[in-house]
Order: sequence, then C-alpha cells, then structure tokens
Amino acid sequence: MFGSNMDCGTCETSSPVQLMTPEVVDVNLSISNKAQEMLSDAFGDDRSMALLVGVLSGGCSGYMYDLQIVEDTDQNCQEINIDGFRVLVPNASSHLLDGIEIDYVDRLMGGGFKINNPNAESSCGCGESFA
Amino acid sequence: MRVFQLDSYVLLLSGKDCLPFLDGLSTNRVDGTCTTVFTKPNAKIIDMVDVICVGENVAIVGHNEFKVNLVNHLNPRILQQDVQIRDISDFNNVFISVDKYPETDNVTSVETFRGWILVAPKSVRIDATMEEEEFNEYRIEKVIPHPGREITSSSHPFNCGLHHLVHESKGCYVGQEILTRMRSRNNTGKSLIQVKGNPIDATTSGKTHSLAIRRD
Repeated sequence: MFGSNMDCGTCETSSPVQLMTPEVVDVNLSISNKAQEMLSDAFGDDRSMALLVGVLSGGCSGYMYDLQIVEDTDQNCQEINIDGFRVLVPNASSHLLDGIEIDYVDRLMGGGFKINNPNAESSCGCGESFA
Repeated sequence: MRVFQLDSYVLLLSGKDCLPFLDGLSTNRVDGTCTTVFTKPNAKIIDMVDVICVGENVAIVGHNEFKVNLVNHLNPRILQQDVQIRDISDFNNVFISVDKYPETDNVTSVETFRGWILVAPKSVRIDATMEEEEFNEYRIEKVIPHPGREITSSSHPFNCGLHHLVHESKGCYVGQEILTRMRSRNNTGKSLIQVKGNPIDATTSGKTHSLAIRRD
C-alpha cells in the first residue's frame, strides 16, 4: 500500500454518518443470590469497587456482554446499588440491559456469571453474545 | 494502465476502537489493511469492503448499493466503543487497476485480490481506461466476483468466491456459526466458477466464457 491522501473533506466539513443514538433507559436489574455470593467473594469487604455491566459489539449474535470489576470508569454510567453492591451500567448500552438478571452458574464447563436478558431475541451457545 | 471506475462509497472511521470494532463484526481478521465481509446472522452478505488504514483513521471502501445496509448494521453496535464514522464518498473517486499502479501523489493505492484499489480525491484526475465489458472479461478470466453480480444479499461468502476472506480461526462474529459449520462439514454449497459460453444462469457474461454460481 502507498499513499494515504484520500480527501476527508478536511474532516470537519465531511458529513458524519447520522448515528442512531439509542434512548437512555433507567435500568432495573437484579442479582441472583448465587451471584451475590460470588460477588461477595470477589469484593470481600471492600465495597468501593463496582461491577461494570456493559455491551460491546461482536460475538456470534452481534452484541457481547462485558463484565468488569472496576473502581471507576470514564464512561457515562448510571450507578445502581443492589444490596450494597455498586453496579455501573453505561448509558450507551442501557437500552439493551434494562430488566436483566445477573446470575451465577456453578458447573465445570460453561460456568460463571451469566446474564438473563429479556431484551435478547437470540443468544449464542456460549451465552456471551446476544441479538 | 487498465483502470475501471467502481461505484463505491468511502467511510472514514476514527477512534481507538476502529479495528477491533470491524474485526468483531466481519469474517476476516481485521488488524490492518485488508479485505473483509460483513454478514447477517444467516451468513448472507451485507457487503464486502476493503479496509484501508489511513494514518490514525481507517477507511472502508464498499459497494454503493450496499452502503445503507452496512451503515445500519454498524451504527447500533458502536455503543460504548470509541468509533466515529464519516461518509467521505462525495470527496473521493474509487477505481480498480488490474495492473500494478505506479506510486502517485494524492492517490491511496492498495493491492487486493481483485487488483489495485485506488482512492483518489475528486480533484485528482485518473483516467478510467476500461469499459465495463473489458473489466468483466478480466473478472471472468480470473474468476473474480463483483458486488451486485456475484456478491449479493442472497449469497454467502462461500457461494461467490470469497472463501479466502473467511478466517479459519478468528473468534466470533455475526454469521460465524453458520460459516464455520459449513466449512467443518465440507458443505459450502454452490460456488463461483468459470463456464463456457453464455448459459442462462450466468452472473457475468463474456465473449467466450461467463461466471456462474453452481453446485459442483
């Protein structure tokens, strides 16, 4: 490859593709007893940490869950407190996460945190991806 | 120099997540300049695009007719990722050169399986020396699929000669389960072939040979 001189219309004047900005939804979510137990193990007594529940593009079905334990994030999030656990949900993904249940499946294969999502029309076999 | 003007769009993606974003949604491994295919959950094609790294940005060049469908596919999936999309189609022309194109000021040139893709600002003059008929003869000879002819929304990548753009070991993407199953069962259905004459099922017709999508 050579050259990198395509005209971007000086970048400022080129037309941005009209993004469909999803509506920000006030998220309601629940955490099952088993998941709370596992979170207690992970957090210990330090409840300053938070569980970030987000959605990224990708996976077999187009959207992938993103679970992280964080102290803070620079993303624009809503913070929900459930039985003492701080849960952060990015506003950008809120429309896909309203009504979810965070569960924990205790089995050797395919075990771990699992999200039951009433908004998902279909999901991948591994449970990490949904549409 | 044999050059044909394509009916293409150019989208410019910026933001640090551009490449992972494209990689997570398309059939080929996207970690730099390459060609890849976006597919629907049923593995049917949305568009085949050339991904071109341009400084810190990434340009994707696809077929104009498929632009709206691709944008509608990408748009709702940006979510939390740092990706912005601009449409710079109005400022650039896109060509394909079947011969190695000489280095030229202000012209971005990338070698692909179809030939050399050239993206040039509209102020730069590039002579399109090939008519469609001659370009079709070139494609028939090399068995190269073209959007709107062989690459359509009713075909999947294995149907229309895009096997090499379906990465064998990359992670999940939309349509991956079906394509992986087809490949692992050695059941990829019809394929793009060169045939003699001008049969009724030809997708591109030439003087002595044509392209057709047929079951082996």
